[in-house]
Amino acid sequence: MRSRDGNHSFTLSISTIIFLLFNSSALLFADEYLISYQSSIKDATLYNETLLISKAMQKCQGETIDKNLILKRDKKNDLKKILLANRENFDAFLEKIGLYVEHREETRNSVNHSFTTLTLKTTCFKVDFNDNFVKITPLEQPNR
Amino acid sequence: MKYSLILVALLGVASFAADTKDQQMISTPSNVVVVCPNGNCKADKKSDNVLTAKRDLTISVVGQGVAPVNTSSPAQAYALAKRAAIADAYRLIAEKVKGVRIDGQDLVKNMMVERSTVRTSVEAMVRNANIVETTFKEGLCEVEMEITLSRSQFPQ
Repeated sequence: MRSRDGNHSFTLSISTIIFLLFNSSALLFADEYLISYQSSIKDATLYNETLLISKAMQKCQGETIDKNLILKRDKKNDLKKILLANRENFDAFLEKIGLYVEHREETRNSVNHSFTTLTLKTTCFKVDFNDNFVKITPLEQPNR
Repeated sequence: MKYSLILVALLGVASFAADTKDQQMISTPSNVVVVCPNGNCKADKKSDNVLTAKRDLTISVVGQGVAPVNTSSPAQAYALAKRAAIADAYRLIAEKVKGVRIDGQDLVKNMMVERSTVRTSVEAMVRNANIVETTFKEGLCEVEMEITLSRSQFPQ
């Protein structure tokens, strides 16, 4: 007597196709993260630095630009930890992308005070997590 | 014969005068006199700091930053001082490329200056800056940064 799952091979092939489709889509579409950075310097001394990272909740608009950063990854999936572990490289990358400089200086009765902020406004980055490395590519907003 | 000699001498003097009139004397800042035979050339100044369509312009600055007093280790002091120095270098680049807004105010009371205030500000977006060299000595970090400008970056 034939079992209810007589089309065992058919079911297996369908489920394999579905599994492969899901996996390939996960490989093809990299994660998108929103990153913003600000550092404040008062009288030539750094007093505040903020690096905010969040996974994008909806697909980012814009196109990838040819600047990318490849960082070593030690089985970590936390982007913030990876970036902080490779801080020098990430800082150099930020310099390539560009930072907004705002500087105010006041000299009152020959006493000088200065205040500078460096800002990377919230930018979407495409992040590819591979086995040993992470590839980070910024997406340029159309209205930027 | 006598008259012809006088005529030749007069013609020679006239042509010499016309020749010297065509030549213009241009003095350069280094007190070197440049003679332009046609009268339409300018002083051959060294225009290294001018951005042209054919030549890129590289701006180099040195930013300074100091470490905070309450740091837990020399490495942290270095890292924080470097951050401040980078920001200072960015500010210097912005000042050179975009310019500085300056606002001054003096308060005079009973014929005496009571308060003198000078405010400066600069805002700019700086891209593609490179750190060339970093030095850290006695709590002061100096970062040499440079940026290359090309004419194509500025829309006409």
